[in-house]
Amino acid sequence: MATEKVKALVLRTTDWSETSRIATLFSRERGKLRGLAKGGRRLKSSFDNGLDLLTLCDMVLIRKTTGGLDLLTEAVVVRRFPRLHRELSALYAGYYVAELLADWTEELDPHPALFDEALEALEDLGDGSVGQRVLRFETRLLAELGYAPVIDWCSSCEGPLSAQALAFCAEAGGVLCPRCQAGPGERRRLSTEALGGMRALASEKWREPLADRVRAELRGVMGGIITHIRGKPPKLLPYLGG
Amino acid sequence: MNTPREQPGGVISRLMAELAKLPGIGPKSAERLTHHLLAARREEVLVLADALRALKEQIRRCELCCAPTEHVRCELCADTRRDPSIICVVEQPRDLTALQRAGGYRGRYHVLHGCLSPLDGIGPEHLTIDALLDRVRAGGVQEVIMATNPTTEGDGTALYLSSLLSPLGVRVTRLARGLPSGSVLEFANNQMLADALEGRRSF
Ligand SMILES: [Zn+2]
Ligand SMILES: [Zn+2]
Repeated sequence: MATEKVKALVLRTTDWSETSRIATLFSRERGKLRGLAKGGRRLKSSFDNGLDLLTLCDMVLIRKTTGGLDLLTEAVVVRRFPRLHRELSALYAGYYVAELLADWTEELDPHPALFDEALEALEDLGDGSVGQRVLRFETRLLAELGYAPVIDWCSSCEGPLSAQALAFCAEAGGVLCPRCQAGPGERRRLSTEALGGMRALASEKWREPLADRVRAELRGVMGGIITHIRGKPPKLLPYLGG
Repeated sequence: MNTPREQPGGVISRLMAELAKLPGIGPKSAERLTHHLLAARREEVLVLADALRALKEQIRRCELCCAPTEHVRCELCADTRRDPSIICVVEQPRDLTALQRAGGYRGRYHVLHGCLSPLDGIGPEHLTIDALLDRVRAGGVQEVIMATNPTTEGDGTALYLSSLLSPLGVRVTRLARGLPSGSVLEFANNQMLADALEGRRSF
């Protein structure tokens, strides 16, 4: 019953009783975790209002050894993301980040790089194109979880990609050259600019502004990839702008 | 969860299952309460049953502000001394109660019955947003005060409402930042609430 300290992002909270709530958290050290916060809804409590969605908190918790929920005993906000409270598109993008992290990571499976990327994304949202920032987060998420799409050669024949008539196929896991586009599965025409955009988003040059048209095209491609891998579209997907 | 002589789906199991759905009541408490009711006098239990039934059959939403009431209009909306040109928007009836307890506010209210929570599948259609817009469109409203909780979701709800209300030519204000971020109105003290209302600012 040793206590443990973690820095964690609040992904989700559910009221459990008059004063308690269950929180789903994402921490750098331990990955996703769920904990019961007794008294977590009171104004004056050891939670210092620290269980608000999309805030980064210093948490103290007692790990349950026999399964079940950890017990959260303290939470202090160390960082808020004020732009999320000023722009609706940024807030919805923030919810989307939280949804992907909560649904797509496992408890006791830490992803420090993903944690850092999530914080950076939340900090950036609302500054510049929300749509492009979300695409960068999704690109990093897919790479970190081992689902990076094949964009440097044909995902079917592994041949080189020429500049023309490319398609993207989520089932195939990447781009298809013109010779490999027959067959089952949904194919989406992919412009060379969009392919360039995907490569840029996976590189250090991801901040270079994409044209609106390219961003909209990539929004569709990325939604398709994530929906295919998860087997269902994320709840927040319809809320995302281009 | 079943008592030894009870079949699943029997009267006793059913009550336990229903009680266990209540917030803060786990299977153990549900079982304890069920046995308490089983042993209690008949009249005592029927009074409780009547009260539960009346809660849903006799309480409705005020036609104007959507607060729970036994009448077509709630007491606050029926009170002609209250200023109809200001509407204070709250998430829950308990927030209205807290603001009323704080005193000082003489306008009207609007109860949303929740906040926008896309992660939980709660969208505008689940709240009383259309009723609020109708009230404002009907005219005579000059100011709408966003008294949603100063939480991420409360702020999000206020942002969304503000985007709908501002084009209607009404002044949209937000409670002052005296309330700690992440807190909830119902647990704030009277002075904090009174100050937050007094110091409200344009959205
Ligand atoms: Zn090929
Ligand atoms: Zn009313």
